Amino acid sequence: MEFDLKTIEALAPDQASLSAASRLTKQSNWPRLEKSEQLALLWGECQGSGSNPYRVVVDTGDHGYKCTCPSRKFPCKHTLALMWIAATTPASFAAAGSTPEWVNDWLGRRRKTSPQPTGPAPGAGGKSIGEISLDDESTVVEDAAAVERREAAQRKRTQDTQSAVSAALDELDQWIADQLRLGLAGFVDNSSDRCRRIAARLVDMKATALAGRIDEIPSRLMGLRSEERPDAAIRELGKLVLLAKAWRSTPGDAELRRLVSTSENREQVLANPEAIQVESIWEVLGEKIETRRDGLVSHSTWLLNLKSASPQFALLLDYFPASAGRRSNAFTSGDRFDARLVFYPARQPLRALMTDRKGDVPSGEWPDFGFDAGDPLAAHVAHQDTAPWLTDCPVMLPPGAILLDDRGAAWWQATGDPHGIALPIADTVNPTLLGLDLTATAALWNGSRLDLLAAQSRFGRLDLS
Amino acid sequence: MNEIEQTGLATMRDSWITGGTSFDLAPAAWKEIAGGASLDERERRLLAIAAQALDIALRPAAPKTLKRRPVLPELALPMLPERLRPLLRAALKHAGDTRSKTRVVSLVASRGFVLHPMDWMPAVSDQNGPDVYAPWIDWQAGADGEKHTRQEKLTAENWDDFYPAARRTALADMRRTAPASARQLIETKGSGEPAEIRLALIELMRFGLGADDVPFLKSLSADRSGKVRELAGRLLARLGEHGQLGDGGPEDPTAELAAFIAEGKSGFIRRRTTYTPAKLKSPAQERRRAELFETCNLVDLATRFGTTESEFIGAWQFGAENDADILVARMVAASGSEAAVTHMADTLVAEGGKPALFVLHLMPRLDNRRKRVLVRLILKDTQYLGALNLAESLEASWLEWADLTNGQTLPMLRSAVAGNDDAVKRGVDQLLETMGFLATAATAEKLIGDVVVAGMAPAAPSLGLLRLNASLAEP
Repeated sequence: MEFDLKTIEALAPDQASLSAASRLTKQSNWPRLEKSEQLALLWGECQGSGSNPYRVVVDTGDHGYKCTCPSRKFPCKHTLALMWIAATTPASFAAAGSTPEWVNDWLGRRRKTSPQPTGPAPGAGGKSIGEISLDDESTVVEDAAAVERREAAQRKRTQDTQSAVSAALDELDQWIADQLRLGLAGFVDNSSDRCRRIAARLVDMKATALAGRIDEIPSRLMGLRSEERPDAAIRELGKLVLLAKAWRSTPGDAELRRLVSTSENREQVLANPEAIQVESIWEVLGEKIETRRDGLVSHSTWLLNLKSASPQFALLLDYFPASAGRRSNAFTSGDRFDARLVFYPARQPLRALMTDRKGDVPSGEWPDFGFDAGDPLAAHVAHQDTAPWLTDCPVMLPPGAILLDDRGAAWWQATGDPHGIALPIADTVNPTLLGLDLTATAALWNGSRLDLLAAQSRFGRLDLS
Repeated sequence: MNEIEQTGLATMRDSWITGGTSFDLAPAAWKEIAGGASLDERERRLLAIAAQALDIALRPAAPKTLKRRPVLPELALPMLPERLRPLLRAALKHAGDTRSKTRVVSLVASRGFVLHPMDWMPAVSDQNGPDVYAPWIDWQAGADGEKHTRQEKLTAENWDDFYPAARRTALADMRRTAPASARQLIETKGSGEPAEIRLALIELMRFGLGADDVPFLKSLSADRSGKVRELAGRLLARLGEHGQLGDGGPEDPTAELAAFIAEGKSGFIRRRTTYTPAKLKSPAQERRRAELFETCNLVDLATRFGTTESEFIGAWQFGAENDADILVARMVAASGSEAAVTHMADTLVAEGGKPALFVLHLMPRLDNRRKRVLVRLILKDTQYLGALNLAESLEASWLEWADLTNGQTLPMLRSAVAGNDDAVKRGVDQLLETMGFLATAATAEKLIGDVVVAGMAPAAPSLGLLRLNASLAEP
């Protein structure tokens, strides 16, 4: 069985979709249900409200899907219903000798997550991304002058962008100095307006990523108690200074460009020889979906490398417009799979792309990371030493527990903590968690608060995200 | 970060909060790094250093008020296997109310597993869930340390070493096996407890209630709490002991209740006494009659009519007025003797049809055999299948496939599933949920197959509990 109800539940955009899907799981709604085990595909035709049946295809390997219905929900009820039938009555799918044209068409157009090892042979029957890119290249080679023109235009655009970003950082520097002169008390109180204004200027000057980050400062400050906000403001603005300085020293640096202006696309990352590739067993620690002030939703999926002797994390990050509704989750917290990840080049590689997901792996305990009684935030310090502009850092905390203070706020503290250290937790916690000894805890530390992802305990894995 | 740097950072921080330059306040080492630049640039450099210092050199100090909850106790049964947790969560999600959730939990417990604490935790007030969760109820109630051990026998000496829920479970067990010892404990230790706990302790006397308990229960007529006195009176009534008989005057509630009941005769050859509800004239009378049925005991009422409990029940004309029938059934459940309860259950079940449904009110007092007989009757009859959803105190996981095929239940279910009547389908959903609780794993599996063939969506949420049931191996 490729799907289970847990996965379908996680994929569903909302309860209404699940309910609607459950009504569509009657086989009478599906005149055609077929599968190709070889291609790890399921497809079917669902008789919906339209004249033509809706065609649904689902890739059981990476949970990719396509439905021809006009719904703006992703996945739609038809897709969910198909998965649901696969989870509950897999025998309903007849083995097909060949895939229909519309399935082939989708396969050819979709952005596959599996790698294209050497590129398909020219003239091969089925379409693929590799073939498309080869086609593009062949077109380009025919017109060297056009290539030259395009490359020149690209160079000019890069130079223009760098000039614009440089000017943007000058403006940011001035703005930071102004905040210090006017007083951080006033900045904290008016951070929303002030950050919005400078962020708008930065967007105009092509420092888009930096603008998005500054736009989020107010909400980060407001998440803290009032007495903590000035220190947090110092940290936020100080990191911006560091980032601006780093960019000026190496404006071509991929990591810094990503943090200041724009990120490279998937193909660029995959083509970058400096991009580290790690093939391992990964566990989905948790997901964070946040709507940003700029109208984008950031969808972060945090992974843990289960073959690494020391904790290695990876972040799968997507942005999509808030107006598109909730994007489907590709994973469920706790999922384990064998996959190859390609990391975006960085001083502390975290953000990654999944290029090859081979198969699911049974759940179990995390590796023994050999915790010592040292600083629980040592990993954070290491990140800050090499990339001091980073805000959030994933950490694997040693054995500990969640405690409450007299205000009812939750804190994580190491078992037998010798340092008098406790880390405040960002959100309220499930009260049951207060009674559990956590043998290891994966979390994000942002300098002020701990955002819990998952933990191990004698009750097994705990999903905390 | 050394002390000078810490002091410097604190003064710089204060300066930036109010607004102004901080260069002169910075530690010498920091000045060296930040110097040689414009005024603004110096401030920015110091800001960068300060940010980094705050991030890596300082750690949040643990507040002195931090308090650790006691460790959540492990339960006597193993945790539900990980692979079944998605099914469980689906079943819990579909279970709308506490009662339905308790059924899910009870089914899992009947198969020898407990739930993961992050999936479900009993409420502090939970008294209907499986006993195995008593340690978690005590934990929820704020118990602040390890006290009891499960294996330990409850005695007067270790009474205080048990938390309330664990003590309740231990006492209930003891009442079933050694009722006199349990009674002595309740008698000895209960008097020192507050009224609320005393009431809960006396309530446990219903387990293994016998004639030996009479002197103790009678002694409770002097209890400080009215509720305790009332409960003791009911328990005494169950043993056939009369409460304080009134004088039959207008102040005597039993006499007042008797006035709401008409005594008559029926039969031409063998004249038999009958009791029917007297015709009421106003809603006020209805309310008063309901109050009286709740506060009076069956034995006293029967005595008022000069008859026995069983004779009174035998002569009551079920079917004459539904509300009155329900009140009588509740009265029997609350204060009837064991003989009266079983007599009423057996008589009405034998009669079948609608009157048998009044036995549902007696469920908490019935033994499992009689409960099963009633459920089988309702299933066979099919006319009142919806009543099954109201049945309390049922045990999980016993209903066999033959119980469903021994009547029209399955054909009725199939036809409802295949039909288009939404109201009927909602009823089917509820029934399937109840079946999910009652059925054996094999029955559950067969039932899923049957209704899916009949046209029910295989992934229908109402099949959730049946699916969980079918996936749980019998212990």
